[in-house]
Amino acid sequence: MDIVVIMLTVAGVFLFFATTVGILRFPDFYSRMHAAGKGDTLSSLLMLLPLVLYNFHELNLANLLLAMKILLIGVFIFMASPTATHAIVDAGFEAGAKPWVKKPEEEA
Amino acid sequence: MIWQLDISVLSLIVLCAFATIMVKDLLSAAIIFGAYSFLMCLLWTEMGAVDVAFTEASVGAGVSTILFIAAAYQTTRIVKPRKSGRILAKILGLAAAIVMGLVLLAAETNFPGFADPGSPASRHLSPYYITHTLSDTAVPNMVTSVLADYRGFDTMFETAVIFAAGLAVIAILRRFKHTGRCELPETYSISAGYQDTIIRFISRQLVPFMQLFALYVVAHGHHSPGGGFQGGVILGASFILLAISYDLKLVMNRLNEKWNILLGNIGVLIYASIGFICLLMGANFLDYSVLSKILPATDPVMARSHGMLGIEIGVAIAVMAIVVTIYLNLASHGKLDKGL
Repeated sequence: MDIVVIMLTVAGVFLFFATTVGILRFPDFYSRMHAAGKGDTLSSLLMLLPLVLYNFHELNLANLLLAMKILLIGVFIFMASPTATHAIVDAGFEAGAKPWVKKPEEEA
Repeated sequence: MIWQLDISVLSLIVLCAFATIMVKDLLSAAIIFGAYSFLMCLLWTEMGAVDVAFTEASVGAGVSTILFIAAAYQTTRIVKPRKSGRILAKILGLAAAIVMGLVLLAAETNFPGFADPGSPASRHLSPYYITHTLSDTAVPNMVTSVLADYRGFDTMFETAVIFAAGLAVIAILRRFKHTGRCELPETYSISAGYQDTIIRFISRQLVPFMQLFALYVVAHGHHSPGGGFQGGVILGASFILLAISYDLKLVMNRLNEKWNILLGNIGVLIYASIGFICLLMGANFLDYSVLSKILPATDPVMARSHGMLGIEIGVAIAVMAIVVTIYLNLASHGKLDKGL
């Protein structure tokens, strides 16, 4: 079980890193939010799941309740994080942020 | 404590503090300040002060960021560049800061060292709380018992301060229709006629859970981090979420201005009247143990626990009403009609 925990955590850290790189390197507002929204949500869950699994080293009621609470946090992150991303993107669209377009060959 | 983590978090906090001051865009400053609060919360958690961390997360990072954003949104967003040629003022300011810093540093040498076991507070006060809390009050969370029982008087005036802050915001910002004050520019709002189904649906789903969690925080403050302040702020934040995702009218229909002020009063009054009931029954102010005479089936120890619950509820009501009032006034230029 420890191996699964380590693998999930490493995957979560890697995705967080990828998210950060994406936010820093992507060319415009929308693609940056794309990286932030997707990466953040999935990697949060990947960080929370190993915490749940790690709790089950000794199985009792307290640990089970703790696992339930962590899973609930995951559920709420899954609801709130994409919505927040959507809200930010929407506000940017309202404010008139221009999407980045690849320049055609003849102009370049 | 892991000192490497402490050092890195602390340096990030200092960085955030400088960035908050230096940044010209007030909206960015508010968001960086929110990050500062979250880092502060992390540091408190690291040091084992979970109750303080909870307060920092809910008040500092949550609600005050929203209040800053609302204020920046209704006034100006970009700091105007200062006029140069105020060198004298700058030199005076620098001198004052240096003198003040030196005085503080000189005073600092008289303090006991950090976590010094020989300091007066650690010699008899803290050990008393640590050893006696459970037998005195039947409350496992020491912070709650110190806050609401041993130091109940301080907390009562903290609640009164929050109430006064709400009154001050109303006194400064609230604008009634036919008062001849200077006209402010019309509030421009991006949400005018603009509806987003996703945001509205999700906030509608989240609000009941937020309120349930807030009640849990209030009621469970005896056993886990939390209490009246945090629970009240979360309750207020749920209303603010509704106000942001829908409009102010929806919140005003549920919790109008009259009720807000009334609830703020009631909260502080609950706190003070519990103290007065103790006084009337022949004990000291806020000495809950005498309440066992009127509360059924309680001994003096449990009565202290229940008394704490009572004042936590009062604090939560007051804080919720005041947070909502401050937000509504800030977001709408004090007109309470529309905004943000």
